[in-house]
Order: sequence, then structure tokens, then C-alpha cells
Amino acid sequence: MKLLIKGGRIINPAENMDMLGDILIENGRITAVGQNLAVQGAEVYDAAGLVVAPGLIDMHVHLREPGLEAKEDVASGTRAAAAGGFTTVACMPNTKPVVDNSILVSGLIQRGQTEGVVNLKVIGALSKGLEAKELAEIGDMIQAGAVAISDDGGYLDNTRLLRTGLEYTSMFGRPVITHSEDEGLAGEGFMHEGAVSAMLGMKGRPAVAEDIAVARDIMLAEYTGASVHIAHVSSKGAVEIIRQAKRRGVKVTAEVTPHHLTLTDDELKSFNTAFKVNPPLRSADHVEALIAGLKDGTIDAIATDHAPHAFEEKDVEFRYAPSGFAGLETALGVVLTGLYHTGKFTLSEIIDKMSYAPAKILGLESGVLKAGAPADITIIDPEYEWTVNCINFYTRGKHSPFESRNLKGKALITIVNGSIIMQNGEVLK
Amino acid sequence: MNKAQVSLRKKDILGLETMSVGEMELVLDTAKEMKNIIDRDIKKAPTLRGKSIINLFFENSTRTRTSFELAGKYLGADVVNISVSSSSVAKGESLRDTLLTVEAMGVDIIVMRHEAEGSAQFAANVVKPVVINAGDGAHEHPTQGLLDMFTIKQYKGKIAGLKVAIIGDILHSRVARSNIWGLLKMGAEVHIAGPQTLLPYGIDKAGVKVHNRIEEALDQADVVNVLRIQRERQQKGLFPSAREYARIFGVNAKRLALAKQDALLMHPGPMNRGLEIAPDIAYGDQSAIQEQVKNGLAVRMALLFLVLMGGTHIETAN
Repeated sequence: MKLLIKGGRIINPAENMDMLGDILIENGRITAVGQNLAVQGAEVYDAAGLVVAPGLIDMHVHLREPGLEAKEDVASGTRAAAAGGFTTVACMPNTKPVVDNSILVSGLIQRGQTEGVVNLKVIGALSKGLEAKELAEIGDMIQAGAVAISDDGGYLDNTRLLRTGLEYTSMFGRPVITHSEDEGLAGEGFMHEGAVSAMLGMKGRPAVAEDIAVARDIMLAEYTGASVHIAHVSSKGAVEIIRQAKRRGVKVTAEVTPHHLTLTDDELKSFNTAFKVNPPLRSADHVEALIAGLKDGTIDAIATDHAPHAFEEKDVEFRYAPSGFAGLETALGVVLTGLYHTGKFTLSEIIDKMSYAPAKILGLESGVLKAGAPADITIIDPEYEWTVNCINFYTRGKHSPFESRNLKGKALITIVNGSIIMQNGEVLK
Repeated sequence: MNKAQVSLRKKDILGLETMSVGEMELVLDTAKEMKNIIDRDIKKAPTLRGKSIINLFFENSTRTRTSFELAGKYLGADVVNISVSSSSVAKGESLRDTLLTVEAMGVDIIVMRHEAEGSAQFAANVVKPVVINAGDGAHEHPTQGLLDMFTIKQYKGKIAGLKVAIIGDILHSRVARSNIWGLLKMGAEVHIAGPQTLLPYGIDKAGVKVHNRIEEALDQADVVNVLRIQRERQQKGLFPSAREYARIFGVNAKRLALAKQDALLMHPGPMNRGLEIAPDIAYGDQSAIQEQVKNGLAVRMALLFLVLMGGTHIETAN
């Protein structure tokens, strides 16, 4: 089967390409990128006026399977991904049971193939049962297909075990992803500690708790020579610590979420549990530092930390609500609205952060538009105006801090392995 | 200048952050009239006859709950108290379900106290009856804030321009937050003081002056509002000992003398006499602590009346 995408604005950050042209897809792979391609017998998609980008990659999602399917599963989560323009997602292991062995890694990969509609990559746990006591079978999981190792969902407070995990994982050429926030310091808090928490009377999670943990994780990476990836950076201190580490040549990468880039703790004045997330939404000075860090390359990637919860779990008093919310279906619109339409970032920079950069970190061959690469493509209308309505989400998590907001920019087509799986908001499989 | 009519009819009373100066003044003016009823031989007024009020208390309270109960009863309403010893989540029933159950019984006002900040806002989002916040975690306690302002006005004749010192555990105090919002809006200069560990990080951005030495806050103060220290704070390691607290941060006669000679001494109660406040001054000439309790009743009567029956006030605004 041949598919010819004609006349789109092709943006391929991997090769610094931004041109009007065509892309030919055959048997799940890109076979040609060029201008005025004419192909007999190909289905033609007219992309005039649209942006043709390498498929978006979200390196940090929670699909909740196995065990927590009331919140999400592979089928619903990957459909949400497709609806949001993502062609690949990597899921975190904090499920029940924890994905801490090769059987579960293989099982999830298989579920991805049978139930999923986008490429599913699996991240294995660093410690057995996420208990921070002994290493999980990291090598076995990586050989079964795990793309990274992480105890995400919480802070790994056993520093010795983290050191061992970093050293051990580095043998297999994979990164350890850390959730860096000193829980002993932040644990009692529900929101960012600052002027807003002071007057709401809510216990705060101080930014310094993140700074301390990021510093520790980077120092260990530097000491061991291993690769560490800092998940969901949210504090200005952390940005500066990462910036300095990169200058020293430490093998550190980092990600930031769309919500930390665009929302502040002012939103918490509504006590709306849709804004409860961990790490918490911080004050404007932190948001500015995150944007600057993303711009100068200190922060490599944008990831959603998609963390859906059942409706009733969030429909409680703020302090009792779980942290996290759905992110896959709003990410691109939020980033384009907040970073592109405000003139802070170019489309190429955004596509780099949401596709090529995460592909590099996870060692994937996607994230690029060139002959021979997998035909994972997202076609975007950056000018498309729409209003977020959680009820229409494909994810089971019907909470979003962006509910009812007007966004500008949306994925119109998601192509995975050469097949159109989402068109105009509708997932076709 | 334009003039607008202010009314609290059918409004939820969630905190003083969201209340206008005109609305607060309306309550204080109405409370003055309500206070006369408390001093009567026969206290029952038929004003709220046929109206029903539920006091839904998820935290223990004697003072506030009784005050709301009598306020409703003095005005002729039917008042029911529900005390829930543990949180709704611990019980297995969600707060939403509890509220909907109460609403289905046809109540007009839900007075709610709950340990979680924002729970009153949550309730107001869920149900149609008027919600009055009787304390939500460390967030706000608006009726305490109003009664404190009423008391200050009673003794000082005004609030604007006064130096008010709030001393003690600001971190965990909903009283402090309602006081800060209300007093700042009314034009007072608010000073807070206490151990750094009991002052919320970032509070300096709220428009108050922050001190660690209570002597600085007390200096030439017109009003001294001493907050209760909860002993479990010490167990959590937020200060070393009750003895040290009393010695360094306790308000006693010598320290009170730093304030103006006619300074008013207040405390929301219940007091730990000998800890945050010395026994001799607690019932001394400058103390308005007993009067605060009476004023609390008057303010709550005023609020119940205003949210159910209306009553207006001309607000002058720029």
C-alpha cells in the first residue's frame, strides 16, 4: 500500500528541514521525501496548508495497565495518544503489579501490538515492586524490549540503590529516568509552597525539594558516568542545576510538561482538583525559567506525564484527590498555544522537543522524516482553533486543567507505520 | 463615585478573600442590631421561622457550632447538628454524597466545618443551599474574621489605620488568614509574629509585615490578637518545647505593655493559658475575649439573616 502526502510544509528537525514538499510511504516506511513526487497507484493526502511532522513521541505516560484499568488501559490510552497526534508513547511501570520483570514487559509490548493503535514502548522499574530495596531484573527487561528504567511515580530515596541502578543500567546503554523530588521535604504538601499556598493555608511542596533531588541524581550520574533523564522538571533551581551539569559534560537529559510550561499555582485558588499534580504547578518565575531552559536546550524534551484517574477519585476535597490528570489529547494544542503562538518557539523547535529529542533519549529510530525511517507522521494544523472538552476524550481520565480553554493548533492526522489511524479527531481503529 | 446596593441574599460565605468591603460592612452593621436580641429576656425572634439550617461539622468544635446553633435558634430557624467524627473519605462516603443527602432534606443553609482547605468551595459547587464556611482546614474562618472586626470596631470605633498584631501559629491558623484578608481590606496595618517555623513560607507577599520577634509586632499596636498554639505542633518538631514557646513567644503583661496603653487584647479561643497568653492578662482590663464570643453570636445571626432574607446596604465604590 502506498500513501503520498502532498504539498505539506515538511518540518524535520533532525535534518534542519523546513520546506514545502511530498512524502511517500510504502509498506509502513518512508521511501521518499522530496518535491513534486508523482507515484502511480498511491493514495494521495493533500496536506496543503498543513504541517507534516515526524510522529510525536511522548516518553512519559501512565497507561495504568496492568491492574488499574479503571483509570486507563492500553486500548484507551493509545487511542488518546493517537487523538493527540502521538505515534509513540512510553509507559511508566508504576502499575499493579509493578512492571519490574521481563514477563510483564513482554506482556505489555504484546498488548500494545494487539490492543494499541500507536507504538507502545515500555519502561521497566528500577527496584523490585518500586520498594527501593533491591534492583529489578533490569538487563532481562531491557532484553525483552524495555527502552528505559525508572521508579517514576515517586522518589527513589535509597541513594545507594540509585547509584547501583545507574551503573547497572548504563551497561545496556539505556537511561534511568528519575522522579526527582525529596519526598521527606515535600511529602506533606499538596501544592507549590509560596505566596499562594501561604494564603490558602495549604501545605506546600517547596521547590527546593526538587532542586535537592535533581542535584543528587546528577551528582550520581556524574560520579558513575551513567545517563540520567530527569522527568517533569518544574523548578528554576533544577533548570540551573541541569544547565551547569550539561556544561560539565554530565550525561543528563530532561523533560518538562505542557502544564508546567503554561500554568501557575494561581490556578489553585479555585481548589479545582484538576490542577493537582506532582510536582506541583509553580509560580510564574519558575515557569519563565522552564521556558528559558527549554529554549536554550537545558531541557531536551516535552512529555505529558499523562496520569489519568477515575472521575470519582478526583471528585473529592483537594487534599484527598490523587495527583495527575490526562495530558495526551491537549499537549500539542497547549504547547502550540502557549509557546508557538506567543512567538517564543518556532514550529521546528516544538517538533524537535516533542518528537526527535525524545526519540534520541529513548534510542528510537523514529522521530525523523527520511527514506527508510518508520512511517510515523503527524499532520498538524497550527491555526486550528478548538475548545477542550474532557467528556470527548478517548482517555478514561476525564480531568484536565485545560478544560473549557480555547486552544490554537491541533493534530489532524496521525499516521502509524504507514496507516492513518486518526483523522480530524476521530481514531479510526 | 457610584453607589451600588450590596446584598448577601443567597450568597455562599466562603471566605473574606472573596467578600467586598461593602459586604463586610453590611454584616457588621446588621450584627449591631442582632446583638440587642442576645441581651433580651426573650431571645426568640420569628425572623427565620420555617427556615432550616444544618451544621455539618467534620471536625470537633464546641464554640463555633454552638454559636451557629444559637444564632439560628434565636432567629426562629430549625437547626440540626451533624457531627462526623472522621472525614467523609475515611467513612467511605464521599463529601459530595453527604452534601447531596443533606440537600435532599430541603435545608436552606449548610454551615460546614471540614479539615480540608477548599472544602467549603467544593460544597458550594455541589449543592444549591447557601454554604457558610465555619472553617476549612487552615484556609479561612470568615465568621471569626468578621466577629474580630466587629469587636475591634466596637472598642476602637474604626479599623482603618489601626496597627493590628497577630501573634502565634499563623501557619495552621484559618483565623489568621481571614483576619489578614478582612483587616487589610478595611485599611488596617497587619503585623504577624511568631516562630519562623509557624509562619507560612511566602506570607510576606500577602501585604502583611512579618516579624520573628513578637516585641516588634507588639510595639505601639492598637490591637493584639493572640492565636492558639496546638500542642501537636510541638510534637511535630515545629518548636522545641512549650516552655520555650511561652518564654519567647508568649504574650504577657510586660510584652503587652509595649502596645498602646489602650490596646485591645483578643484571642479566638480556646486559650492555652500560660502558653501563648498569660492568665492575668487573658481576663484583664484590656481583654475583649469574652466579648468576642458574644459578638460571634451576633455576627452569625446577622449572616444567617442576610443570606436568607436579604437586607441591603449602599456600597460606595470608585
